[in-house]
Amino acid sequence: MGKNLGMFIFIVLMLIVVGCSNENVDGNVSDENNEMNNEAQEIDSNNGITIAIDQNFITLDPHDAGDTVSIYGIRSMYEGLVGFDENMDIIPVLAEDYEISEDALEYVFTLKEDIVFHDGEPFNADAVKSNFERVIDEELRAARNLQYLDSIEVLSDYEIKFTLTQPFGAMINKFAMIPIASPKAFMDAENNFALNPVGTGRFMFGVWNQGDSLTVTKFDDYWGEGETNVDKVTFRPVPENGARTAMLKTGEADFVYPVPQNNVNEFQETEDIIIEETPSTIARYVSINTFKEPFNDERVRQAMNYAVDKEAFLAVVKNGYGNVLDSTMSSETQYYSKQDPYTFDLEKAKGLMAEAGYENGFEAEIWGNTSSETSTGMQFIKQQLAQIGIDVEIKSMEEGTLSDEIYTPATPEEAKVQMWYVSWSPSSGDADGATRSLFHNEYFPPNGANTAYYNNSEVSNWIDAANNTADQNEQKDIYSKIQSTVFADAPWIFLGTDTILSGHKKELEGIYVLPDGSISITNANIK
Amino acid sequence: MWKYLIKRIIALIPLLLVVSFVIFMFIHLIPGDPARLIAGKEATLEEIEAVREVLGLNQPLLQQYVNYLGSLLSGDLGSSIRSGAPVSSLIGDRIMPTLGLTFLSIIWALVIGILLGVVSAVFRDKWPDRLGMLTAVSGISLPNFWVGLVCIQLFAVQLGLFPTGGADAGWKSYILPSFALGAGIMAMIARFTRSSLVYTLKQDYIRTGRAKGLSSRTIIFGHALKNSLIPVITVAGLQFGFLLGGSVVVETVFSFPGLGRLLIDSIHFRDYPVIQALILFFSVQFILVNLLVDILYSLFNPKIRYE
Repeated sequence: MGKNLGMFIFIVLMLIVVGCSNENVDGNVSDENNEMNNEAQEIDSNNGITIAIDQNFITLDPHDAGDTVSIYGIRSMYEGLVGFDENMDIIPVLAEDYEISEDALEYVFTLKEDIVFHDGEPFNADAVKSNFERVIDEELRAARNLQYLDSIEVLSDYEIKFTLTQPFGAMINKFAMIPIASPKAFMDAENNFALNPVGTGRFMFGVWNQGDSLTVTKFDDYWGEGETNVDKVTFRPVPENGARTAMLKTGEADFVYPVPQNNVNEFQETEDIIIEETPSTIARYVSINTFKEPFNDERVRQAMNYAVDKEAFLAVVKNGYGNVLDSTMSSETQYYSKQDPYTFDLEKAKGLMAEAGYENGFEAEIWGNTSSETSTGMQFIKQQLAQIGIDVEIKSMEEGTLSDEIYTPATPEEAKVQMWYVSWSPSSGDADGATRSLFHNEYFPPNGANTAYYNNSEVSNWIDAANNTADQNEQKDIYSKIQSTVFADAPWIFLGTDTILSGHKKELEGIYVLPDGSISITNANIK
Repeated sequence: MWKYLIKRIIALIPLLLVVSFVIFMFIHLIPGDPARLIAGKEATLEEIEAVREVLGLNQPLLQQYVNYLGSLLSGDLGSSIRSGAPVSSLIGDRIMPTLGLTFLSIIWALVIGILLGVVSAVFRDKWPDRLGMLTAVSGISLPNFWVGLVCIQLFAVQLGLFPTGGADAGWKSYILPSFALGAGIMAMIARFTRSSLVYTLKQDYIRTGRAKGLSSRTIIFGHALKNSLIPVITVAGLQFGFLLGGSVVVETVFSFPGLGRLLIDSIHFRDYPVIQALILFFSVQFILVNLLVDILYSLFNPKIRYE
């Protein structure tokens, strides 16, 4: 009897488990999901499209996002006074026009009229003011873009003036980083604003299943020109590269970004899928600690640059995609000025090493994260530098550990880093973002990302000077001088700039990836 | 039985305290500064310090632990550093998909594993046995992310039977990931069932049964299998605990919106409150499953029943 009872209970438990799991499985298929499932099947009827991306959205609060993915998720629903066009150039969006005073301290925006938010609220100068006040008062992440903002003044319904505490050359780019939300949406304390975004964009908020998908739907009262025949766009984070590219093949996704370099070949035969290449603002380099011997000798650093074959780097590490980094920033960054690259020349490299007294080379360490691409990159550098007698030891560290090792030292003397295999991209595509934190002598770790401990007071002064003028031509000249000086001083091994790869169905138009790695869906259309 | 149960549950309290302390310390001692990760690469030192202060990360570690324990006891798991959302709602959103996935995996594993084991034991040293055990050995040795990728390639891309990932397609979304997750355990259960059943079939009472003229089916399913299942339950129970760990990998491969992926994302951003809550959750679940295994044990074999 006892045994039978045991068996009976076991079977009952099994049934409960089976029952639960069925319930779980079914329970998960909520109405929303069912809806989306149907939607996925209706792609062909031009009803909605799916975009597979590599990461989760973290927040949809337009003023509190710090990561690229959240930022472009937000930009699918929001617009700023100004924005970026396909080439990352600044264009007026909600603003009709803007004027900058001669002392570069005052920005006056004339706003477009007859624009409404998704909740029907009118867009005007008061709405703009409330948005900027929210960012500053609540110390949201976007406040970093407004550190030099002194006061905001509403001049008329459609005119607003911003005054700065000091001139800041990249300010107009920073305005593009502040999306304008409906004040009613964020001022209503009852409303969980971060989960209920209300902007002015072509698409408005639909459903956000955190960790799974974000759906935005077409806003019928959109002010802008052009049309879209896409009613719904679903963003789906798929971190696994293989699974993401598979979705493009199976038709579960209509647009996939990023497509890994080594998956591109799979699509060369398929006619209905197009792989797009976008030059990016991402610069790849090895930062060299110029504070340490023997790296404090400029000739050694130049020799290292001559010893590395950049074309080979692109072929070996980047599967042939990307361009040689021929300045301190990518060609897609504001005020980029091309330099003469250090072409591969072993004789010249050996000569420079001998001149510096290191004809027999030396031992050195290179640090990098644990990703497979970084490992390949570091192996490549090791092999290249071995040609001039530099014996490189590779140290791979998990990202958090690495960041601690790099940024914890309080002084240059304490820093242990010799070489760091890394990349950088300025968040708003501006020259200041691609320069100040990297090369200004007040931005050594832990205060900034000048991990080369590059100390050239002339360059630091130029960086300050560029911000002190509103004259764009002058800024251009200054940044040009900065780039040529830093490039010649060689605090980095200049490697390459990334090419962003995305894939989409042939009939899908108007969705594109910007050089900063964000996706624009405003003009999505299905042929 | 009840006394035993209550005793076991009370004994959990100090265990949970120790577990929570260890988890807290480990997580806070791993390198990586959440303040810096949150403030972003272009942040200045002052900005990072400000973030640290807002998050309470500038307090002494023990003080932070006491605060954490205090809010934990009042049922507050805190808020995510990364998104600001309450940890309880983050876990709440993700728990059902993961539980569904793990339950389905263990069912795959039990049903197919036991069947495979029985067939192997009955046809010992003949070809069904060899085939079954070959499958089992492959199941144990292949990593589940690889099984997952092969499943995607075969059943989603080539055959188009199932979606490549996500949880939108209802039950179909669960088939491939749960199979990939359960494959290893399935194999283990098959092997344990086989060896245990082979051993049982040699026992005296089975011989007596055969002498009495009982059919093979009655002998195997009515007598031998039940007694052979005790080690299988142990394995299944222990493995169920590990399933949640395995779900971390499988959920990433299948972009499945569950706890495993939440954990990976959170570790990446050093989102302490979420990591703490998830690991604590996994630990508690592990402890409870062990308790359940002990109870099942005593039900199956009265000889090892506790007083």
